[in-house]
This record gives sequence, structure tokens and C-alpha cells, in this order.
Amino acid sequence: MRKYWELMKSQIKLDSAYTIWYWSGTASTILRVFVIYAFWSAVYDNRVEITGIPLSTMLTYVVLATLLSNYSAGVGYELANRVRNGEVAIELMRPYDLMHKLVALDLGTKITSSVRNTLPIIILSFIFIGINLPHTWFAGPLSILSAIIGVFIGAQLDMIIGILAFWVFYIWGLRILRNAILLFFSGALLPISLFPDWLQTVSTFLPFQSIVYVPVAIYTGQITGSDIYFSILMQLVWLVVIFGIIRLLWSFALRRVTIFGG
Amino acid sequence: MVNYYPENREYFEMGCSMIEVRGLTKEYTIVKKSPGLRGAVKGLFVRDYTVKRAVDNINFSINQGELVGYIGANGAGKSTTIKMLSGILTPSSGEVKVNGIIPYQERKKNAQTIGAVFGQRTQLFWDIAVRESYHLLKHIYQIPDKQHKETLEMFIEVLNLGPLLATPVRQLSLGQKMRCELAAAFLHNPSIVYLDEPTIGLDVAVKTRIRAFIREMNKLHNTTVLLTTHDMQDIEEICNRIIIIDEGKVLYDGSLASIKERFGQKRVIHFELDLEGEFTLPAALEGKANVIPGEEEGKISLSFSSKEMNAADVISAVLGEYRARDLTIADPKIETIVHEIYERGV
Repeated sequence: MRKYWELMKSQIKLDSAYTIWYWSGTASTILRVFVIYAFWSAVYDNRVEITGIPLSTMLTYVVLATLLSNYSAGVGYELANRVRNGEVAIELMRPYDLMHKLVALDLGTKITSSVRNTLPIIILSFIFIGINLPHTWFAGPLSILSAIIGVFIGAQLDMIIGILAFWVFYIWGLRILRNAILLFFSGALLPISLFPDWLQTVSTFLPFQSIVYVPVAIYTGQITGSDIYFSILMQLVWLVVIFGIIRLLWSFALRRVTIFGG
Repeated sequence: MVNYYPENREYFEMGCSMIEVRGLTKEYTIVKKSPGLRGAVKGLFVRDYTVKRAVDNINFSINQGELVGYIGANGAGKSTTIKMLSGILTPSSGEVKVNGIIPYQERKKNAQTIGAVFGQRTQLFWDIAVRESYHLLKHIYQIPDKQHKETLEMFIEVLNLGPLLATPVRQLSLGQKMRCELAAAFLHNPSIVYLDEPTIGLDVAVKTRIRAFIREMNKLHNTTVLLTTHDMQDIEEICNRIIIIDEGKVLYDGSLASIKERFGQKRVIHFELDLEGEFTLPAALEGKANVIPGEEEGKISLSFSSKEMNAADVISAVLGEYRARDLTIADPKIETIVHEIYERGV
């Protein structure tokens, strides 16, 4: 366990060193939040609510969803790159589990960016956009728990695409497809409760809404009462299922591994 | 294959050898692509595969503390063998045992006891300072504090790493990087180290330092070293045994002394001649020298054994019949020896 902890720490140190990268990331997120604010204010110009959602709830939802969707990517791209340029050979020569290592690095990056990027923007949003506090005092911690599980699910889904690089060497197309699916079905764009009924039903059988919609909807109160626990349970089930799929794929991948370039 | 190492057989039977390879074979499936746009479209639907045998029924065993040069031309199957020994690749067939472990089945356990340097790739952490890299390696290999500190201090002195420790790896020069890589490979005191072209692209001073370091480690910890290189000097200064492979097969396995005796006298002279018509070997060289035709008009090379005749005689025999624009006497290269062995057998 210690080695993964050290790897995570090294990633945090590394990320803290890149200040330009950090400021450009923060600036682009602030810009996106501002655009979202302007867009939804315009949509609500002549009405008080849309399908029962008032402006302040909607803004709370889309701002938090935008911030959270920043975390939906993982290290799949990194893994795919290493497979393609052959660096995975060196990774496989080390006495660690590459999957665990990648997750550790990913966590490191996400911890850095949540402290340096997300947290300040949330505070700014409270002050300047006036987003709501959690729906109930209990919804706060539960939504954080749910968000953490969601981040893990997103990272794991990304890893699946990375592992596919062992079979499909250029995963660019797959990533585009994944981004489109994720943007729509994770609820990063709109609350899933605004979807037509059949689409909502489809969505409940997919893992994507666990990444953004569930945690944010718990926060804003679109998911309430015992539904909260059920949703979190579903998230956990998805996490376990996807983790299992990854382990299976990874063992297949290792068996057919061929290293490129010498 | 000829085995000049009968004593290995005993070790194998006693089970004392560090690396044992029996009938090791690796085949790759390669997708054949038809040329042009039509071929690309066709490739979306129908694919032709060819099977390439990169390593073909290889046998050898290496004892603890041996310094073995594993040589062959590019694409001979050296890296593929090393990748199977280190557990990265799964063999298509055959047995491989390293330190009593089957590497591809217990990759992580195997990884704990091996070190590696790949001249073409870096294994240090690209963006962080060298010192941090070593700190991470300490945790990755679970090296005890005291041992880590002592080893590192020694490496810093022997390889002169002091001034490099605070620099990120990406800012190091090739020679600096390679010294750091070498320290990283030996840091956890592995019982086997694979060195894949560790001196590629380095200047003589760095090469000398690296060779001395490898010998020192071997003397100190009885570390087994498997080295691939195209530099004959590396082999001469480090190894006491060489294995030559070509097209995936072992051509020669034996002591360095015996191969030098057989092939060390091999000399090649490259001529650039004003030719009118075909080149024919002068009568004086008949049966003593081989003609290797060059790629360009008028360029030919003669190979001969310095036992049978000396270079001056060869040159004067050729100059007696042809006008030469230029000539160079080449050092015996490992490629030439490999080529020679491949052409004529051992």
C-alpha cells in the first residue's frame, strides 16, 4: 500500500510544480461557469421554472455538474499512450500493479485540482452566482460521498478504454464516442430528470449517471429520501462491476501483450 | 546449435542456474497491409496475417554471477528474449525460469529481483528530480532505509551523480541520464540485471565509467548480467561469455576467448576501385579471402583471416591488378562475426 501512497504523493508534488498549467485550467473552468450562468439566466428570462426546477436550483445543478465532470476522465489516455509507444514494457518490469499505480497517480492529480481549482470556484460560485446550499443538511456529506464514488467510476470507465489500446492501437475514435456519451448520459449538460421518460429509464440502467447526475442531484434535492441510499448503493454496485470488468480485461491484455518499438 | 559450455549441463541438472531457457519460442502475428487507399479500405474488412517467429527454440542456462553478452544483428530476437525473461512477454512455447520463478506467471515477484536498463527508453520518472525518482524506487522495491542510503551514497560516488540529483530527468544529457538509469537498475540490489544497449550513443568517457560500474557490481554482489550491445568493446571489457543469436536461433554459445580465437583474426578491407567490368579475385588471394560485394559500383570488401595473411599482402595483391581510389581497414565488428557465423557455421 505504501508504494501507491508514495506514487500519489509524487504526483501531487509534480502537479503543484506546474503553475501555468494550473492557472490556465482554473481560468477555463471559471469561463465555462460564467457561460453556463449567462446561458441559463437567458433561458429563464421569461419564466420562473422549467418542469418544476427554479433558476437557482438549475444553476446550482449545472455549475456543480460542470465542476464534477472535470473529474470524469482518468488515466485511460495515459495508459493507451504507454501501450502505443512501448513504455508499458518498463511499467510491467516493476513490482507494482500497473492498474493500482495509475489509479494512485490519478487520485494525486484529482486531489491537487480539487484543492487548488474546484474548491475556490465553488466558493466563488456561492458568492457571485448565488448557488444553493445542500438541499438538506444531511444531503451535503452524502453528496460528497456519492461524488467520490462517481469519480472512481469515471476513472475506471476511462481505464477500460485505455486497456482497449492493447487491441485497438488508436483509441482516438473511441474517446470521442466516450466523451459524447458521457456528456449526455452522465448528466453533465442537463439534469437527467429533464430527459423524456424512456430516456430516463435507459439511463438508470447505465453506469454514466453515477458519475455526475447522482451526486449533484442528491445535493440539489432532485433525489431525496430513501432514493438517496438506493442511488448510492447502485453506484457501489456499478463500481464493483466495472472494477471486475477491468481486472478481467487487464488479465486478457497481459496475456496478449506485445510491446512495440524494439 | 553448438554448446561450448558443457559444465552448464551439470548446473542445469543440479538446478543451480540463475536463468534457464528451454525450447523458448515466441511468434508474433503481423497484420499484412495492402498498399494504397484501396488496400486500406480492404483492410477494414479482410485482414491477412503473417506469423513471424522472433525467437525460435532457444536453449541456454546462465549461472549466478556470469556476465553474458547476448548479441546479434538488429531484429535477431534479443529484446524479445529479454522481455520474456523479465515477464513482459508470454512465450508461445517453451520453458523459461529465472531464479526459480516462471517470470510471466509471477511477474511482480520476478520484477522484485531483477533490474533493467533499456538504452532506448528511460525508466526514471520523467518530470521529477533524480533524487525523487530514487526515493520512489525505494518504496516501490521496498528497500530498507539503511540499505537504500548506503547503496545510494556509493552510487553517487562511483557514478558521480552528486550534481545531477536535483535535476529533473528530462533536463539531463544522454550520458548523465544513462548513469542515473544504471544506478536505478542496481539500486534494489537485484540478482539479475538486463542491460539492453546501455552504452548506445555515449561518449568514450561515459562508456568507460559504465563498464567499470557494471564489473564492480558483479564483483561486489555477484550480480548476474545479461547484456545486449553492438559495441564489441562493451563485450570485451564486461563479458566472459557470449551468446550469439540470429533470426531467433542460437548460433553460438561459449566463452569470449574461444570466439576471439576463431573469429577475432577476421579482417575486412573496404576498397573503392576504378572498375572496368567485373571484379575478380587476384590469384594470390584465391581461397584465402572472401569477396563481399558493395552496394555501389566499384565498392567491394574483402574479408580474410589475419592468421593466413596480413593486410598489407591483401592490399598489395589488389593494387597489383586494380586502381584504387580509396581503401579502409575495418575493425572486426560483431555484425561481421555474426554474419560470418551465419554464412559459414561455427
